Amino acid sequence: MSGLFPGFLILSAAMFSVGAAGVLVRRNPLVVFMCIELMLNSANLALITYARYTHTMAGQVFALIVIAVAASEVVVGLALITGVYRSGRHLDLDELSEMSE
Amino acid sequence: MTVIFGLAAVIAFLGAIGVVLSQRTIYSAMSLVLNMVALAVLFLLLDAQFLAAVQIIVYAGAVMVLFVFIIALLSPGAEERVRPLELRLLLGGLGAVIFTLLVGRLTLNGITIGPHGRMHGELGPFAPTLVNAHGQVQTLGEQLFTTYLLPFEVTSLMLLVAAVGAVYLSRRRRVAA
Repeated sequence: MSGLFPGFLILSAAMFSVGAAGVLVRRNPLVVFMCIELMLNSANLALITYARYTHTMAGQVFALIVIAVAASEVVVGLALITGVYRSGRHLDLDELSEMSE
Repeated sequence: MTVIFGLAAVIAFLGAIGVVLSQRTIYSAMSLVLNMVALAVLFLLLDAQFLAAVQIIVYAGAVMVLFVFIIALLSPGAEERVRPLELRLLLGGLGAVIFTLLVGRLTLNGITIGPHGRMHGELGPFAPTLVNAHGQVQTLGEQLFTTYLLPFEVTSLMLLVAAVGAVYLSRRRRVAA
């Protein structure tokens, strides 16, 4: 069973980096949010993998907390996106640059 | 065991790739659902039955329904085009491959696993066979409400703040200036 340990971690790293690349590459805010979910999920996988192989419970508890964080992040983020949409602006992250000026 | 891991891992990775490369937002969302269901299978392999159920119910259920609802509501008309050979996409893919190789090198190098396929240092008291005999959900719940009570309470506070924030952000308001 412990032979699969590197496999889980490498899958987690691959998913995290695909998600990070997506956050940097895509310009649709909805897709960027999904990529952030992807990164949180891969962190969960790493947490649960370590919990399983070190015979501890902390990883599973914090994976549960990460799921709660991800859910509330989605709620607030989607409320922001609908707010931006209602103000009549195009949903493109490159055009939403008022904050940086 | 290994076969199930391989299948679920390939499906999860393909789902992740699909999220980034899909032309339409709804396809990205469906790829993310695929990824999350495959992850739930992996959680089952890791003796985390409760988290596998939570993954399906909260993520693939609630969160993705919210996503699909917002996509249907906004129906972003002009889709951005992602051409596979675009420069930024190539650079992003290159960065992803390099990071994965680095972590893989560290992992296979034995930094995190000892010579006998075990962790360095003492193993904790929650061996999977013991936990399953006692009840996996029961053990997790006991830990959550004793050792990790403070993080749990802070999480409930955070959920309250998120709910209030979402209501505040999405209420209809007069446009001032």
